[in-house]
Amino acid sequence: MTDKPNHLPERLALLADLNAARYLTDGLLSGKENAQAIALNKVTEPLPHDGESRAELAPVRDLIDDAMYKFRDDRPTNADAWLAPRLHAALRLTRREAADRRIWNYLALGVAPDYVVWRHLVAKSQGDAPKVAAARFRGPAYTQAFSRLWWAAELYRDGPDYGPVVTACGNQEMLNTALRMDVIEHRPTAQAMVRLIGRGTVTSTREAIAMAAAINASAATLMYDVVAPDAERDGKPLRQWIEEAESAPAVPRRDLPTGPYEEKTPERSVDVLVDHFAELFAEAPVRGRTDAEEETGAEV
Amino acid sequence: MRAYPYQRLPGVVSLRVTSVELRGPDDIRDPLDTSAFSAVEQVVAPGSSERDDWEWLRMKVSATVPGRATAPDGPWTDLAVVVVLSEGATNTRITTALTPGAEGGRQWVGQLDLWRADHLDRATMSVHVVATVDGVAGREIAASTKDWIVDLKAEAPLRGRELDVVEVGFREGPEWLRGFHEIPWAVDTSGDLPVVHLNTDFEGVSDLIGGNGTSVDNMVRDLLLAQMCTDVWTAVFHTAIGDLEIEDDGTPLFPRDWRGEVLREMLPDVVPGLPVEDALGEVHRRRTGTSGWTDLQPRIHYAATRRADVPKVLSTSIRGLEGIHRGTDA
Repeated sequence: MTDKPNHLPERLALLADLNAARYLTDGLLSGKENAQAIALNKVTEPLPHDGESRAELAPVRDLIDDAMYKFRDDRPTNADAWLAPRLHAALRLTRREAADRRIWNYLALGVAPDYVVWRHLVAKSQGDAPKVAAARFRGPAYTQAFSRLWWAAELYRDGPDYGPVVTACGNQEMLNTALRMDVIEHRPTAQAMVRLIGRGTVTSTREAIAMAAAINASAATLMYDVVAPDAERDGKPLRQWIEEAESAPAVPRRDLPTGPYEEKTPERSVDVLVDHFAELFAEAPVRGRTDAEEETGAEV
Repeated sequence: MRAYPYQRLPGVVSLRVTSVELRGPDDIRDPLDTSAFSAVEQVVAPGSSERDDWEWLRMKVSATVPGRATAPDGPWTDLAVVVVLSEGATNTRITTALTPGAEGGRQWVGQLDLWRADHLDRATMSVHVVATVDGVAGREIAASTKDWIVDLKAEAPLRGRELDVVEVGFREGPEWLRGFHEIPWAVDTSGDLPVVHLNTDFEGVSDLIGGNGTSVDNMVRDLLLAQMCTDVWTAVFHTAIGDLEIEDDGTPLFPRDWRGEVLREMLPDVVPGLPVEDALGEVHRRRTGTSGWTDLQPRIHYAATRRADVPKVLSTSIRGLEGIHRGTDA
């Protein structure tokens, strides 16, 4: 299996897509080789916030070590819900910074290629040699191994409360399908979806897909922003939270960290949408659900 | 045409940005000059201000809605006019409700704040008219057709993107460029935005591209630029189509950043006569399937050449050359 890099610098960095491509060897993707740590660190660029504490590499690496240790006898998938909020709180990025793919490339190749292999090595079909999809190292925001966790934490957290992130990440489709949809950008919508999962109305991944599809379709004619208004966006708490990184202790391992003190999602708005989505979901076709009209017998 | 299960509002809904103010530390309030936003282009370019320390900006906006919306005998109640600003690359969406102004309900005004740390590149802004129809609240009954753009990277309010050109010596430059030291430029499509690296080791090329010389120099320069643009358009198309996210049922998705923008713009020329979603599926099938990708190349070339204005530049140059010959012959 791919090991922890034998060379870890002190600071996180940026790794351009083009440079990352050279290190995505077949050996690495099949988990048989290590990433070429020294060569790779020669082609990186410093972070725009290189001088700040949040650019330190060791706290992030420690966190990933702990995730792999904690879930060593478990399914690696289960580590997502633990790592997502903690990674988010350790990095303390703005959305602008997180939209730069280069930081995620660096985390995957320069900081923790062993984690990416551990978490995402799968055999496509029986008999095939297991492989990691290259997009887990370098790819779209909702696919890349670390960026998907960060965005899940960013879009599902309720202000400072990471609780909903844990609930959401417990269902892989909230990461895979829901994260790609535009509706998730509306906080009350995201919170209402999480609540349906938390309540047990939506349980399996198939049900999550069905719910997400129904919500997305309904958004074509209904404006959730009007039916369920969010609080006004204020960027100051985030800035303050980022500044506090200078003196913040390590991210807690047992308790959840605390996010930026942004205003929470208005409770009434979430309630309105929970009711609406529950109705939509009751009528939505779910693959394999016996009472659904569109039963596809093909799925096992 | 999409069908709606309720009555929509016919007519044109339009949006206008009337003022922009940059806000920053120590309570800075710096109104942007009107040259920083253009009602014709429908673009706001805060980058055209000298100031780079702003943290957020406040836009005053005004929307025009057909008078029928508020007619007492209309089917719509609880009318709301909302402005939505969003950027796919940062998954950010903010909305603001406008309030009715003068002109008997046709004019709606309000303000919208944009936080700089929430955005990377280009945010789009649209206006939506929402009402209760047949007892259902929150129905969108009309929307603006042309979005406004808030461009955080540009220095001028222009809809079309300016080509980002970086001058660099390839021989000593970034590692990946060293192998290319004999060519005048290279296109990099891997980052936030495509960039052209102009090789300063290639003697004379930066003077030619950057300069304003004789009429012949300028003709050669314009031709070179057109050629460069063709390269860029071709490269960005291939990058965008090669990096698609695919749904479980095989449907490709439009990327949410500039890659998606490029595809939406070029696909109508690459696969004419199809809605862009279908065109994307078609191109993806051809690229990943066993045949059809080769046949598409001339069309991709066509789309790139058109966008790079090659026909116009070339015919101008040819006419220019004719003029010069005539001048010397006489």
